[in-house]
Amino acid sequence: MTTDLNQFPELDKTKFEQRGIQLEIGVPVTCAVSIGNNIAAGFGDGTVRIFSSGEKHKTLKAHKGVILCMSKDGDNILTGGDDGYFLKISLNGEINEITNFGSRWVDHVTAYNGNLVCSSGKVVYYWDKTKKEPKSLNHDSTIGGLAFDAKGRRLAVSRYGGVTIWKKDYSNKWKSTKLDWKGSHNKVSFSPDGKYLVTSMQENVLRCWRLKDKLDFAMSGYGSKVKSFAFISDTSYLATSGAIDAICWPFDSEGPMGRKPICLPYIGNKQVTYIEPFPDEKAIFAGLSDGSVFLSQIENENNTIIIRSFTGSEVSAIAMTDDKSSIFIGDMNGNTLWTSIWDQ
Amino acid sequence: MEESNRQVPVTVLTGFLGAGKTTLLNRILTEQHGKKYAVIVNEFGEQGIDNDLVVDADEEVFEMNNGCICCTVRGDLIRILSGLMKRADKLDAIIVETTGLADPAPVAQTFFVDQDVANKTKLDAIVTVADAVHLSSQIEDHHEAEEQIAFGDVILLNKIDLVKDENIEVVTKRIRKINPFAKIIKTTKCGAPLKEILNLDAFSLKRILEVEPDFLESDHDHEHDDDVTSLSFVSDTPLDMEKFQNWFGKLLQTKGQDIMRTKGILDFKDENDRYVFQGVHMLMDASPMGKWPENKERSSRLVFIGRKLDTMNLKEGFEACKSE
Repeated sequence: MTTDLNQFPELDKTKFEQRGIQLEIGVPVTCAVSIGNNIAAGFGDGTVRIFSSGEKHKTLKAHKGVILCMSKDGDNILTGGDDGYFLKISLNGEINEITNFGSRWVDHVTAYNGNLVCSSGKVVYYWDKTKKEPKSLNHDSTIGGLAFDAKGRRLAVSRYGGVTIWKKDYSNKWKSTKLDWKGSHNKVSFSPDGKYLVTSMQENVLRCWRLKDKLDFAMSGYGSKVKSFAFISDTSYLATSGAIDAICWPFDSEGPMGRKPICLPYIGNKQVTYIEPFPDEKAIFAGLSDGSVFLSQIENENNTIIIRSFTGSEVSAIAMTDDKSSIFIGDMNGNTLWTSIWDQ
Repeated sequence: MEESNRQVPVTVLTGFLGAGKTTLLNRILTEQHGKKYAVIVNEFGEQGIDNDLVVDADEEVFEMNNGCICCTVRGDLIRILSGLMKRADKLDAIIVETTGLADPAPVAQTFFVDQDVANKTKLDAIVTVADAVHLSSQIEDHHEAEEQIAFGDVILLNKIDLVKDENIEVVTKRIRKINPFAKIIKTTKCGAPLKEILNLDAFSLKRILEVEPDFLESDHDHEHDDDVTSLSFVSDTPLDMEKFQNWFGKLLQTKGQDIMRTKGILDFKDENDRYVFQGVHMLMDASPMGKWPENKERSSRLVFIGRKLDTMNLKEGFEACKSE
């Protein structure tokens, strides 16, 4: 399963492209999530496409404008759009409106175990599955990202000046603690083991907090903004975009402080724009600014294969089905690839 | 960047409450021009605009952690522009309305500082709507009104039907004193053709060569320290590049907060090309722009708009850059 990088056939279709389904949708792919063995992808024209193996994909007209964010709640897709709608969409295409903020965008959505969350501007709305009306959690500035921890107990909200962590106390009241660092924080994530919290910032840097003692540190050296990152194989590594290499910081028992990252190089010196973990393996899919996508083993840089070749447009979504059989790739020009990973 | 998509021009619309910004925005959204314009409005804006292409913004200004003390940007703008760039239909232009009391600098700086914004959009021009009836008193009472005039590439002097001709002259002179290179358009109900307001490319360095500012006499009346004024300099003697870079770099670094805008065309000794630059506070865009035209005298011209300009020894500094 290896390709010699020096003999990379640049203009030929990869075997994944040959056996998969390639579409030219013509509008940006903005997001994608796996729902069981299906992939749901959101587009700049408000459509959601659902890809399932062995059948033609379904196209749903969900939003009137751009689908800005996507998450899942069990077997349902959650989407937020620039039309102000927060929607819940079932795999068979049933669309339910959760709420509608008018001209205010729904910037971020997430969920845990039936409790639904979205943010619009400075406010996070939390729908407890047992209640009809949402709880509003207010912040002083616009929200850059939302993330639950692995157990759904803490909700991290990134914003200007740091992160607010919300948690319900024993009397079921919302309590917040703040992690402060000057600057604008965007995407946020807890490490799967719950020990760290990471944000990507407006500057070309990541901020990380060790939660037990709030020790904070930067991960820097990037040539551009880090728009995509993911924890790999539980909490072994944090793989990040933002450089011409995929930068993988070690997050094992010793933590990343004072240690060097593993840098996975790709041919062509293009920026890595998207990172998606290969579930349960120390391996990542890396999408580049020219549309190419590679699968790499982190601890063996020679073990890299090309999944999709050059399209000329930045990779903006990658998602793998839960059974690890197929992947979906999308870019800003709307070129998509839906393919099985394994040779038949 | 691989994406060959052209950069969408962004016009910044500023002006005091009641000057007529909403009238102009409604025109932009409703006139039959066959173009697709998105309008980003602020949360305290005047009511009365309802359109799918109107986006609410929060006017969140934040400091960049890049060590530049006056480098503030509009965070909400980065978010909204990146969202608008994901639309299926391509926009012909984007208009950003700022509140009457907002400083236009962070909006302009966002286009210099954020790479994603700069890749996909470009700052087209700052358009200031001024109320011909009230501008003079607004300038006296609110430094923001003065700043909006200082930053403008185009100033719509609106409501002239409500002002006597001689008073229009007074207001025009007042504007010129603050900003010698803005284009002043006199209107009632903001009735200027949209082509004089949108898609002007005022921030391109090429444009600076085409629109030459009125170079005023450098001597000026006694002003309060806080008044925004402009100073301009002309030299027929070529400048020494190294001396100029040292002087100008240090000047922007130390006085960049008081210097709001700079523009210039420079003639350096032993260089065949014209050098053109423009800046907003400490941030600057500069580049050689081809050879000097044969039928034109070579000379260096430099304009500053800002506060406390007379404390910066600009004349002496500029004179010292001459190659002798």
